[in-house]
Amino acid sequence: MGYIKARKGNIIVYILLGVITFISLFPIIWMCIIAFKGTGESISGFNSLWINNPTLKNFKNVFEVIPILSSLYNSIFTTVMGTITTLFFCSLAGYGFAKYQFPGRDFLFYFIVATLLVPPEVGSIPLFIIMRRLHLINSLWSVIIPKAATAIGIFYMRQYIINIPTEVIESARIDGSSEFGIYLKIIVPMIKPALATWTLLTVIARWNDFFWPLIFLRSTVKHTLMVSISLLPVSDGLSTPWPVIMAGTTFAIIPVVVVYIFLQRFLKSGISAGAVKG
Amino acid sequence: MRLINTLRKHKVPYLFILPFFILFSIFQLYPIVWTVWVSLTKWNGIKQPVFIGLNNYNLLLNDYMFTDAFFNTVVYWVTGVIFIIILSLGIASLLNYNNLKGKGFFKVVTFLPNVSAAIAIGIIFSMLFDKNIGIINEVISLFGINKIGWLTTVKYSKIPVIILNIWRNTPWFTLIILSGLLNIPEEYYEAARIDGANKIQQFFKITLPNLTDILFFCFIILTVNSWKIFNESYILKGPSTSNMSLFQYMYQSGFTAFKMGYASAIGVVLIIILAIVSVVQFILMRKNSEI
Repeated sequence: MGYIKARKGNIIVYILLGVITFISLFPIIWMCIIAFKGTGESISGFNSLWINNPTLKNFKNVFEVIPILSSLYNSIFTTVMGTITTLFFCSLAGYGFAKYQFPGRDFLFYFIVATLLVPPEVGSIPLFIIMRRLHLINSLWSVIIPKAATAIGIFYMRQYIINIPTEVIESARIDGSSEFGIYLKIIVPMIKPALATWTLLTVIARWNDFFWPLIFLRSTVKHTLMVSISLLPVSDGLSTPWPVIMAGTTFAIIPVVVVYIFLQRFLKSGISAGAVKG
Repeated sequence: MRLINTLRKHKVPYLFILPFFILFSIFQLYPIVWTVWVSLTKWNGIKQPVFIGLNNYNLLLNDYMFTDAFFNTVVYWVTGVIFIIILSLGIASLLNYNNLKGKGFFKVVTFLPNVSAAIAIGIIFSMLFDKNIGIINEVISLFGINKIGWLTTVKYSKIPVIILNIWRNTPWFTLIILSGLLNIPEEYYEAARIDGANKIQQFFKITLPNLTDILFFCFIILTVNSWKIFNESYILKGPSTSNMSLFQYMYQSGFTAFKMGYASAIGVVLIIILAIVSVVQFILMRKNSEI
């Protein structure tokens, strides 16, 4: 009896998870289907659910609607540089907070953590003025630099580094390592899992970022993919070239989904360590 | 002299945190503090700002666009908190189900919405919810309901935004709650089972009390995220102000109408709301943990 009951429970769980999986994936899969549809094929209602004559034409047409190559380059550049800078500044300062005693340490740290509750977007107007004075409007660095030092990043790195045994650091010091050498040669290799998690989370956030590129990158050649995508000619009904637009959004979604699927194994242990141990 | 001595003695850690603090102060702290000052001025961002005291705040109170945006954001916040927390609790419990095969697969796949760009998904949603060609209307017509102009009528235009918000954010909170579930010792459940508690009793007597801290964390993060909703309502535009968020109105006032002072006042209102919410929550939390 118990066995049958357990199997029944299993089936319900699988059905529910199946539904959730379907809801999670549907918009993305459906986007891909539309992107491969030719001009003659109906894209409305249930007709949109299968493809009769798959075509790559839409992907070619995206190039005519938006400057997709420069947008792709800008997105990749800001994502890569944004991730590298965040990893460096946050892990270095996180190490400082985790493994050194110095006056004002706790105050400074909790002060940073307290600012987590104020979204930086609130300060976007002064930040825009600062960027203009630094002549960084329309420079890709304007979206990289402000996010290089984030409260959440330093919090996460400190939580991870604090668990590294201090003896390791002390013995390296006795062996004559310089302090920065310890960070580079001992700490960085030891926090690889944390760096990997943070890389994944930052890549997703940087790639998908829309607000900051929208206000700082005002010329078309400097637009990131998200800004370009938002300018696609979406209007009501059939006058919209939906297959071409879906081909465009595919460029925006698929790369980061692929990165995620390759790196997701770092996510499970990583994200919870930062969020829960706090 | 003493300060210099302290600095010299602790040179290394200060040097380690210095680059972070320089960037953090210039690009995050200073702008937020400056916002408060700008909110007291009339400024187009180019000419000299003119100090006008609390005038911007006065204007806000009589601005129907502001009250609309405020109300819309409250709707996004409340629906987001209710649905996202309930859904992520449910999904996390499913993923935590004993002897479930393919756990890894389900975890990876159900997290995908959080990975995909809100802007791109917003565009996909605008096609899904399209009045004439959208599949949503096709599905509801199976139930004999007439086609609805989701994004063209004031009455319905918030719904796609709410759904997009829930769809995109639930996975992240599922992950957080799941990690909390994994931290509850299995012995608690065993003891409850021996005492004859059923699944529902176990959920309310063991699971929920052990998740209070994490649910509190989720609530705070959800609140901060909800009050700065921008992408969803920016891309899924409804008629007039029908689904404009507060943050979107701040963007509009500052970066398209160039009313920097006015926009900053909206920003300050946001800071005050978030401060109140977190203080209230903190007090409630303290009370709870004393019991």
